[in-house]
Amino acid sequence: MKRRNFIKGFCTASALAVAVSPSSLLAKDAPKSGNKLSLDMAITAITGGKAVAESKKVSLTVPEIAENGAVVPVKVHVESPMTDNDYVKAIHVLASKNGNSRCADVMLTPLNGKGYFATRVKLGGTQDIVALVEMSDGTFLKTSKPVKVTIGGCG
Amino acid sequence: MAEARKSMIKFKPKKFKVGDTIKVDFIVIHPMETGTKKDKKTGNIKPAHYIDNITFSLDGKPFTTMKVWETVSTNPYFSVNLKVPAKGKITVDYTDNTGEKNTKSKKLKPKG
Amino acid sequence: MKKVLLSLAFLGTMAMLQLNAGEQFAMSDADRAMYEEMLENNPADIFVEEGGEIFEEALGGEEAFGKFLGISEKDLPKYIAGFPRYIKKLGNVVGIDQVIQAMQVSQGKEKTKLKSGKMFSMLAYVKSLANDELINIDVKADAYIKASYALGKTTYMTARGGRGLSCNSCHSADIVGQVLRTQPLPDLGEVAVAGTWPAYRMTKSSLRTPQRRFQGCMKNALLKVIPIGSKEMIALEVYVATLAQAKHKKIAIPGLKR
Repeated sequence: MKRRNFIKGFCTASALAVAVSPSSLLAKDAPKSGNKLSLDMAITAITGGKAVAESKKVSLTVPEIAENGAVVPVKVHVESPMTDNDYVKAIHVLASKNGNSRCADVMLTPLNGKGYFATRVKLGGTQDIVALVEMSDGTFLKTSKPVKVTIGGCG
Repeated sequence: MAEARKSMIKFKPKKFKVGDTIKVDFIVIHPMETGTKKDKKTGNIKPAHYIDNITFSLDGKPFTTMKVWETVSTNPYFSVNLKVPAKGKITVDYTDNTGEKNTKSKKLKPKG
Repeated sequence: MKKVLLSLAFLGTMAMLQLNAGEQFAMSDADRAMYEEMLENNPADIFVEEGGEIFEEALGGEEAFGKFLGISEKDLPKYIAGFPRYIKKLGNVVGIDQVIQAMQVSQGKEKTKLKSGKMFSMLAYVKSLANDELINIDVKADAYIKASYALGKTTYMTARGGRGLSCNSCHSADIVGQVLRTQPLPDLGEVAVAGTWPAYRMTKSSLRTPQRRFQGCMKNALLKVIPIGSKEMIALEVYVATLAQAKHKKIAIPGLKR
């Protein structure tokens, strides 16, 4: 928590200080990958340590091979009636080996009509994408899929 | 750099009725800098600069909120569904870790 | 970090091994579908839209473009799909971006640099007006375009640079498909370079024009980079466009690339 506030303050300060030139932002002063969090710690932070069940109700679509690790498409769909009593409360997208394993936390409501979310994420290398889902009754479901990241090509 | 950020809201399909569940796609031009990359010219680390919160609202009432991290791609894309209740206005409000606030709206016009 | 490009001879001997590697790196149908879907939400759409706004506000949009060239608005899409072409009043075979510059001059405005984000966006916008049209360059239309095509072909075929490579070294019919640095070498006609660039490049997170892509490739192949808007570069665009034209490819701007 502290680190995030530090980054916020740091970046706000540099945004306001018009006179600050890039050269004055020495590497040693810049925030390191401020938001480092391993997959296990991220899952615990999200679930509060509650049990998570692998579920076929969560379908995760990712490419087998990512042409480019900087833009990897991710689609999550959770089977759910999306009624006031039974809906997908949140979809969390995580990447198992990124320094910060968190990608996005999406809080849905019945008005969404479907338990669906899609985005594009950065992957630092070959790893698993994890879809962690919180249902309105407080239960957690998840599924994961591996993505092979090829770093190559000309240009 | 006071220019508003460029973004787009798209509905899919383009033609829909009240009661249909459509896709609401949001795409925005933003560097999503992780804070770990070096500027090739200066050798310094480029400061983290990424969208961290997004709220999708219909006529001012939020129906989806997102917490976003620097691990989302540059010029990011976000997609959720909406079960169209009536005609109205969709607004996407988003902030980034520097405190910069932006907003984009699009009219929701169901046929019939 | 010096990037090593395999020499032609090495490529040849590696052919058998690479064929299997090619399968390993080739896109599955499911993956291909995912990437095609990404085209529906292409960040470049925003740059193209912006290019349109600038083009409209600053220069008078398609109406002014058509008037400047003496082409009716309804004939404009097909006409645009025939670029680069010889424009009599400019005395040269030119690209869309150079016509935009000429328009600026004729309106007493400052020329936008060819190598600028603003011009890339405007170029992409104007080219997108030809979406769904078949690429249609008539290389026999006049002596100028004939010469440009010939120059383009020569440029494409000429081996040069540190490794003695030409465009054809990697993109000829018998080499395409082989894997170089984890990516299968593309048939420039089949992938319709001329139809799908300008494109959003994921590795660059920005809108890239075909000439800039050629420059990037030249850099990697250790060929001296040809300047944007030069006679040779335009000629290269003409020749590469005919490769896609031979395969009846259409304009689809903006594209989405690795």
